[in-house]
Amino acid sequence: MIKVEGLYHSYSNDENYAVKNANFEIPKGEIFGFLGPSGAGKSTTQGILTGLLQLQKGNVNVAGYDVKNISQKMFNKIGMSFEQSNVYSKLTAKENLDFYRKLFDGQTREPADLLKLVGLDGKENVRAGEFSKGMKHRLTFARSMINNPELWFLDEPTTGLDPAIASEIKDIIRKENNNGVTVFLTTHNMFIADELCNRVAFIVDGEIKLIDSPKNLKLQYGEQLVDVEFRKNGTVVKETFSTIKEEEKQRLQKVILDYEIQSMHTKEATLEEIFIKVTGRGLV
Amino acid sequence: MKLWHSFVKEILLASRGFYFYVEIVMAFVFLFLLLFVIPDNFSNKSTEYLYLDLPKAAADAFMEFSVAEDLDQQGEAVEIKSGKNIYPANLIETDTSKIYYLESAEAVIQLAEDEKNFGGIVKLNEAGDGLAYEYYLQGYESERMKNLLLLFHNTEMSKLEETFNAQEVRPLSDGFEPLTDKQNMVPVFLTFNGSFMGMFIIAAYIFLDKKEGVIKAYAVTASSVWQYLMSKIGVILTTTLVSSLIITIPVMGTQPNYLLMVIFLLATGFFASTLGLFLASFYKDIVAAFGAIYGLIIVIMLPNIAYFIPSWDPVWLKIIPSYPMLEGFKEIILPGGDAAFVLWTSLGFLVAGLLLFVFSNKRYQHSLTV
Ligand SMILES: Nc1ncnc2c1ncn2[C@@H]1O[C@H](COP(=O)(O)OP(=O)(O)O)[C@@H](O)[C@H]1O
Ligand SMILES: [Mg+2]
Repeated sequence: MIKVEGLYHSYSNDENYAVKNANFEIPKGEIFGFLGPSGAGKSTTQGILTGLLQLQKGNVNVAGYDVKNISQKMFNKIGMSFEQSNVYSKLTAKENLDFYRKLFDGQTREPADLLKLVGLDGKENVRAGEFSKGMKHRLTFARSMINNPELWFLDEPTTGLDPAIASEIKDIIRKENNNGVTVFLTTHNMFIADELCNRVAFIVDGEIKLIDSPKNLKLQYGEQLVDVEFRKNGTVVKETFSTIKEEEKQRLQKVILDYEIQSMHTKEATLEEIFIKVTGRGLV
Repeated sequence: MKLWHSFVKEILLASRGFYFYVEIVMAFVFLFLLLFVIPDNFSNKSTEYLYLDLPKAAADAFMEFSVAEDLDQQGEAVEIKSGKNIYPANLIETDTSKIYYLESAEAVIQLAEDEKNFGGIVKLNEAGDGLAYEYYLQGYESERMKNLLLLFHNTEMSKLEETFNAQEVRPLSDGFEPLTDKQNMVPVFLTFNGSFMGMFIIAAYIFLDKKEGVIKAYAVTASSVWQYLMSKIGVILTTTLVSSLIITIPVMGTQPNYLLMVIFLLATGFFASTLGLFLASFYKDIVAAFGAIYGLIIVIMLPNIAYFIPSWDPVWLKIIPSYPMLEGFKEIILPGGDAAFVLWTSLGFLVAGLLLFVFSNKRYQHSLTV
């Protein structure tokens, strides 16, 4: 569905690259997670893939179209939800969708159904200008599915939403994917990525550091960890130890011998911990 | 079809915005001014205050002569209010001046000073066999004016009259009523409220859309950015037509060639809106664009000055687009105006507009962000 080779992009048209030598391929039907801290180059990459930004260097093929000479027809197959919501604030939620659906050629979805899906039912006739940030974001998200896209670009779809709604959005993405939609998911929320993605790419400073499935990553990097609570000088202390690193194993042994253990649980490394370990960087 | 849907949406947006009404309300304000405030012809009668410091017989003779010049051959007793003072006067109104005959020399001097008008005292000369004039000028009259007064009083009237009559004056056109001063204002309103207002309004619309980021959303649909831009131009042309007709129909009636006018309004409106699009493509928001907009206002207002002061008409002025626009609108409302000029000028604006449109479209496509 997507093939990217040797992609570079510089906003200042010099060696100062926002995206550096990106290579990846996304097969049909996959949810591909594009993960990285803010400023890593995620939105830039997505912008080039959707033709918003001029392709400067590299080969990019999206949904069978060469991005070098984009045809407007390509967008009948593509949906895009923006990081910054961008709807007409002077139009109502329904008017926004009613207008947008007319800009596509094929079958489009009913605005009322979409608004219900994202929990905006009852707000159809309210102008988007009166919406909260989260509601605008949901409207932007709903709009991106109106043309029944085969390939769906989602830039931070859950950022700024409260957890309950984020979880609903996650379910919608999974459901669409089950119907065969390929998803390019840009996020810095590792929990969502972990739950949804078939594969993830870690991107830092414009460079893709690795691409793999969350499961493989956990097998490969996810050492077994132990959470231990113990009583030390009258207070309860909580610490996490690796069961692989020699030094930590010895410290764990010492704790068990010297102190009174209150509880002890093993746990799997999270995607976030793996990200930090691989890239040496946090996610914010 | 997508262009049509975009146009309908833009009309809806415009009707919920502010700028759309500004232009329409302005049209009504101008209409009101034209109909009720601006006279058919501006009065340019000079006002003079005179006191006759003459013996009764001489004064009566002078007055008799003066009254004969009055439009209805009789003087009118009036009171002039100036500051706290009221001066009784006898008003003689000719087709070029209003002459107030006052009751004292002091009144003339005071009024000439307070009202900044021309004052004069007529006396007998020292020999007692002729008239002497004392003028109270404002100090800023030109040498030419002073020389004229000298000439006037030191040359025999009959000689002057001979010279005047020997000058041949030929009218340039005949058979047509010239435009009244009021009608002469119409091209100005059409050029600025009609065509050029569109330039600012479209830029304002673009900046609103830039702020909301909706251009990006449009760019990822199966419709093209050029359709988005064209639908905006459509809205501008609609309001241009409406606001221009609001002014023209009540003031000009059936005199103008309306078909020609619609063509010219569309062509000039198209040009002005593409200029606005082009301008807006360089700036992030209206604040950043303010300097450029302000500069542009100054430049396009210049031909307006030449329009009202025919003696100032440098060649370079003619390349400012508002110049041919003013000329074109004038030809349209003038009976027997030059239709060929209007059509050629329309074509020129259309071609220039198309070029700007192509450039703007490229710029908008290449300046999208994520
Ligand atoms: N319009 C722009 N002009 C110049 N630099 C930009 C622009 N947009 C993004 N950048 C820069 O490019 C880099 C990548 O940004 P972006 O792709 O938005 O990151 P992400 O989406 O991963 O947070 C950042 O350093 C950012 O400052
Ligand atoms: Mg981003």
